[in-house]
Amino acid sequence: MDLGNPAFWLFVAVIAGIYGIMALGLYVQFSLAGLPNFGHVAFMAVAAYAMAILVVRYDAPLVLAGLAGLVAAVILALVMGLPALRLRADYLAIATVAGGEIVRYLAMNLPDLTGGPIGSIGMLGPGNIAMFNGGWQAFLDAIRAALGRLLGPVPTRDAVMAALVWASLVVLIALVHRLERSPWGRVERGIREDETAVIAAGKNVVAFKMQALVLGAILGGLAGILLALEIGVFSPDDYSPTLTFYAYLILILGGMNRAWAIPLGAVLFSLLYSGTRFLNFFPLSLFDSGSRAFLRLFLVGALLVAFMAFRPQGVLGNRQQLLLEK
Amino acid sequence: MAIVPIPVSGALVLQQLAQLVVNGLITGTILALTGVGVTLVFGIQRIANFAHGEYLTFAAYVGLLVNTGLSQNLVVATIVAVAATALLAVGLHFAVLRPLAGRGLVATSLITVGLGLMVRDVVFLVAGPRIRKLNIDQTAVFDLGFFRISPGQAVAIAITLVAAPAVAWFLARTTIGKSMRAVADNRDLAAVAGIDVERMGTYVWLLAGALAGVGGIMFAVVQGTFDPNLGFEVLFLIFTTVVLGGIGSAYGALAGGFILGLAMELSTWQGFFGGLEARFKPVLAFVTLIALLLYRPQGLFGKARVL
Amino acid sequence: MLLSVSGLTKSFGGVRAVDDVSFDVAEGSLTALIGPNGAGKTTAFNLISGFIRPDHGSVRFAGKPIAGRRGDVVARHGLVRMFQTPRVLTRMTVLENVMLAAPDQPGERLAMPLLMPRRVRRREAEIRARATGLIELLRLGPLSNAFAGTLSGGQRKLLELGRALIAEPRMILLDEPMAGVAPVLAGELLGHIRTLRAERGVTVFLIEHGMDVVMSISERVIVMDEGRVIADGTPAAVQASERVIEAYLGRAQSPAVAP
Repeated sequence: MDLGNPAFWLFVAVIAGIYGIMALGLYVQFSLAGLPNFGHVAFMAVAAYAMAILVVRYDAPLVLAGLAGLVAAVILALVMGLPALRLRADYLAIATVAGGEIVRYLAMNLPDLTGGPIGSIGMLGPGNIAMFNGGWQAFLDAIRAALGRLLGPVPTRDAVMAALVWASLVVLIALVHRLERSPWGRVERGIREDETAVIAAGKNVVAFKMQALVLGAILGGLAGILLALEIGVFSPDDYSPTLTFYAYLILILGGMNRAWAIPLGAVLFSLLYSGTRFLNFFPLSLFDSGSRAFLRLFLVGALLVAFMAFRPQGVLGNRQQLLLEK
Repeated sequence: MAIVPIPVSGALVLQQLAQLVVNGLITGTILALTGVGVTLVFGIQRIANFAHGEYLTFAAYVGLLVNTGLSQNLVVATIVAVAATALLAVGLHFAVLRPLAGRGLVATSLITVGLGLMVRDVVFLVAGPRIRKLNIDQTAVFDLGFFRISPGQAVAIAITLVAAPAVAWFLARTTIGKSMRAVADNRDLAAVAGIDVERMGTYVWLLAGALAGVGGIMFAVVQGTFDPNLGFEVLFLIFTTVVLGGIGSAYGALAGGFILGLAMELSTWQGFFGGLEARFKPVLAFVTLIALLLYRPQGLFGKARVL
Repeated sequence: MLLSVSGLTKSFGGVRAVDDVSFDVAEGSLTALIGPNGAGKTTAFNLISGFIRPDHGSVRFAGKPIAGRRGDVVARHGLVRMFQTPRVLTRMTVLENVMLAAPDQPGERLAMPLLMPRRVRRREAEIRARATGLIELLRLGPLSNAFAGTLSGGQRKLLELGRALIAEPRMILLDEPMAGVAPVLAGELLGHIRTLRAERGVTVFLIEHGMDVVMSISERVIVMDEGRVIADGTPAAVQASERVIEAYLGRAQSPAVAP
């Protein structure tokens, strides 16, 4: 693929949208409420696995399975939150990493349930191929047909996916922005800075933190489900702990305190991600396809360090409003 | 983390116990030594070093290079790996962490995550993802009567017998060791007492890097085979060790490492109701970590914090 | 008695910071808690206001037991505390700081701003009006839209007071309100404290070091030393008490000298 191929750009768009929703979930938890969640990917994984298991093993309709996936993410948030939210920042970071690792470990080591390291394709046991996104493909095709009748040419699945994902992202950002400026958001912003003061002001800080965690988990879960539907077959490696840090990088790239900067961060990130995967000009051509993954991760690490060092406010943020001084 | 199991002859439960104790002590040493480094870094630099696992990976691969690439024996390989990792740690400190100090815990944690990704993926890019091993004949077995050990474990035991007392002595008897512990315990008090806190900050990275070097080689030698994901898998266990011992307490990390290592191995003993399945050993560590964070976040020897 | 403390005890690692402390505070009064450094005064405040759990003892506020209950619960009961170093939210404006602390905000419930925006907006307007009024009262009007981080120490104390007042408390705990405040602002603070009592009937319980302040405005003084209550009475009686003089002199401090 090269830069001129529309399929490349559509892929960029889909990934950007999905990761944008993931980052928005982290935004609510971290940028808004100040919770350093280093295990965000766990919400994505739990939702995706719950959905896939319900579709594959219990023939649940996709919508129901998807909702159940979100509920699973909420349950995980409650379970993680109850102990973790009383901890201070560094312990919370470690505890959330632990939580994420537990989820990944369980996914790897309960092959009867989750397909183990092989992933969702193995959920029905060896010899059987398990697919869960048939319903989704049909849904996309229906939209394609409808749009085709409306517009003339029939758009591709990725085009429809990109449109759906981006429409969702925009609506969700608007909702989060609304919440941010509401009294609820005010309390969360207070908690982010000094929770003792907010307690003294008569607010149940633990409950508010839990709400931020849960809301972020729902968004993360949605992103996880969309990712699963997009790639069709997933394994624990698709929800590796690194994904959480993709989300952080997206927030940092755009500008950590602005929900509306997330699309920019997501697009920039997705360019990096998809570019290292598909593009072939120098210097990328020096690396074979197997090594591209490592190059990508290296660049993610380097960008994390570089932006934190030189431009922590991101592309669109301004220095005054930095909130990383915990 | 899997210790290569040595088949237990017959069904002698006691023999298995002895075997597991040996395994546990070895695992314990790796965790204890690397834990000392991480906990002191936490106490002195106030950094949760998420890149630390990759220091072990780095050490294992430097050892690989020297051992198989340059055909040196294991002792030389270990020494070079330890030195190289110490340099890596101190280098990253001067190049990245010190200039960016004071940005707050979360920001610095994110930076260490980034550094970890960079180190790990450079290793991936340079050495490739395939499984490697050091030049030890893993098929040989030393039968010591009551239990058996592999050559890898023999090397690890040798390192344990040298390194663990050396570290304990260093912490207890040398000025630098005592100073480091003082700074980790109470920075302001240590400064008032005339300790050069800045210099201790540099030394602690040298120590942590060196210990990570030892840990990385031990890990490679005991596991038999490894790939660049080595460090990441161990990172979490190291954090558990540190929290168990109490963040900032070097002795705590030593104790915590051995306790955790033994607990993980012994949990699979048949004498405990048939024992835990080996693949669930890390679950024990997870549960321990969560229980600690919930009920006793200061661990065994850390300080409880008030308001 | 609005506040009744009985047998309150708290140890930290073997040291009894607060040792079997008992006293009452009458509604509408202005009571001072004094004592040498390390006497346990702030710890007592923390115990009463729910920021630390006591080992033993009971605390009753307006007849309800509150010992061991969470800080925000105690605050909602009408017992609001302030901090020795004011805790203001520096990245929010003065107005937002005060509005934050208002009670009964439907907009604080997660879905409400999305589901019932009009009701939320209405209540916000009410709160904004009350907050603005308080800010004017405290003579912080011109700073209403400034970030709290730009305020001086004394202004921050006034802001904290505003945050306490918008919750319409029955009792306020002030921890060394005069400490580190320029004399002019200190005078203003003092005036506000007096007015609080006179016009709003708020009970005031304060920790203070400066004896002249204490003597001039308190009706009653409780003295702590080494975790225990050693005197409890009118300012004159306490000032004359030998035990009190000993406690202060024993630490090379004289109660007659104002720092």
